[in-house]
Amino acid sequence: MFLALRDLVFARGRFLLMAVVIVMMALMMVLLTGLSSGLVDRNISGIRALPITHLAFEYDDKPTWSNSMVERAMWEGWADRPGVMTSTQLGNTMFNARTSKDEPVTLALWGMEPGSFIDPGADAGQAIGGDPYGVVVSRMLVAENDVEIGDTIVLDRVLTELKVVGLLDAHNNIAHTPIVYAPFRLWAEASYGPPGGPPEGESLPDILYDFATVVALQLEETTDIAAVDEELFTVALDKPMSFVASTGYKAERDSVRINQGFLLVIATLIIGAFFSIWTIQRTQEIGLIKALGASTGYLVRDALGQVSLLLAVAVTCGVGIGYGLGDLIVERTDIPYVIDIRAMLISGALVIGGGLVGAVLAVRRIARIDPIIALGQLR
Amino acid sequence: MTLAVDSVSLVLGDGDQQVTALNKVSLTVEAGVLCAVMGPSGAGKSSLLAVCGGLLPPTSGRIAIEGNDLTALGERDRARLRRERIGFIFQQSNLVAALTAMDQLLLMAHINGRKPDGAHRERAEQLLEEVGLAHRASHRPDQMSGGERQRVGIARALMTEPSLLLVDEPTSMLDHSRGGEVVELLARQTREHAVATLMVTHDQAMLSWADQVAEIEDGFLGPPSTPHLKGGPPDET
Repeated sequence: MFLALRDLVFARGRFLLMAVVIVMMALMMVLLTGLSSGLVDRNISGIRALPITHLAFEYDDKPTWSNSMVERAMWEGWADRPGVMTSTQLGNTMFNARTSKDEPVTLALWGMEPGSFIDPGADAGQAIGGDPYGVVVSRMLVAENDVEIGDTIVLDRVLTELKVVGLLDAHNNIAHTPIVYAPFRLWAEASYGPPGGPPEGESLPDILYDFATVVALQLEETTDIAAVDEELFTVALDKPMSFVASTGYKAERDSVRINQGFLLVIATLIIGAFFSIWTIQRTQEIGLIKALGASTGYLVRDALGQVSLLLAVAVTCGVGIGYGLGDLIVERTDIPYVIDIRAMLISGALVIGGGLVGAVLAVRRIARIDPIIALGQLR
Repeated sequence: MTLAVDSVSLVLGDGDQQVTALNKVSLTVEAGVLCAVMGPSGAGKSSLLAVCGGLLPPTSGRIAIEGNDLTALGERDRARLRRERIGFIFQQSNLVAALTAMDQLLLMAHINGRKPDGAHRERAEQLLEEVGLAHRASHRPDQMSGGERQRVGIARALMTEPSLLLVDEPTSMLDHSRGGEVVELLARQTREHAVATLMVTHDQAMLSWADQVAEIEDGFLGPPSTPHLKGGPPDET
């Protein structure tokens, strides 16, 4: 690094420009990761918040939240199996609705047994279960539609009136739609019952309450999932796989990865181009140092040391700035953004890796420089 | 005998483009002797330096440096021989732009795989002193004159205590008086450090400091003569 460090100081203008470009690329990687994780999180945050290891869907080659329907025999069947620590049914139905302020909203009504292990409780007000029509709403409805405790949300078509009894601080969504937590019976009636609910003084047939969307499970690692699935005609997916069952999740995740991939290729090419030009500019000097007796290995190590130092400093700055900006976004705005230290470090490492690949391609040129060019007449 | 060139030929290019740059050249240079090879452009001067420094393998013949047969060595060993036993002084001095005069010298220790220590620094200081540039140690090439740069080049070439100095047109970019100073310095260093110095030049005025002069033309090297005996400048010793 004897030469490399002195070159960095001597040509500081050029290296500073390059460093700024690398800082910007690292920053873009970090912000893109944070924003896309935020976006993806708004899709599946409700599932992510469930304290489960697995979800059992109705059997299908490609199980989805929108198509699955499980029967009572399935969730009761799962509950009895060895290795099942706890289980309960969960209903999911999308509704258009109107708030007390007559604002149209789309919501995901989730039905669950009050007090069961997946019941999120409430951060303000009361949890579900006290009032048969009482529901707990997650943050997006509060932030964007000013829904408050005591409000009534009327579901379109079925005209069920939901009373808001509790609020959650978290953005719990599924398929970008805010979740409204309801007692299981209320969910079943809204999903399968007649518009307006049962006629006065009558109750609905029991069979209405025998269907849900998925079975929420906490399984031990030893559970023979395949055997239970086959017997009960379900498909149990682990938590990350169950995200894929949410509408749009896979497409969103893939498009983010494509963006990151492109950014990485661009970073590799830009750094490769910079060091190619830098090496070409130094051709005469490299020939001279070789003529003085330096080995190609010495010069390549020196050049790669220089690139590594530049990348390490610039990427650290980029990731640092990205962390700071991400913190501001989370604190000051409602933009979906997730600060994920691990993802940020991976982004930084990828930029460093891409840059090194570009630099290695560039400094291969050093091996081809003939020391003979140091002699004037033979140049 | 430090440098022994024995019947060396060098053919460059191939097919119709072939040029015989050196034609059965023989030459010996002893330690402490400054040998000047004189000739017009294209006569084969730089080719002679290139084969003596192991930068080009000769087509035929043998070159020995302190008895080591250079022509028998591979590229890696030739590079090692260059950095350990040979000092190069180039046209226009050819310094590294980013390095100060002191660092130009310390670079040689680095190339040899050694982290410069106190002894290296001491030697570099002493050499800069000898070439009259102790006060310019922290200056970079762009802050020095052509003559100063060439003197740094001489100090750098001596840094590794070589047995052979190969000098390529050291005065081509200097005016007459500065060129004279540089060659005089070179002659003095050759004696003081007891190195064999092979200098190629087309500048006749520089020959008076040489102990031995040979002319080269079209790849043929004439027999050496001794200019001092022909009435050159008085021997300073």
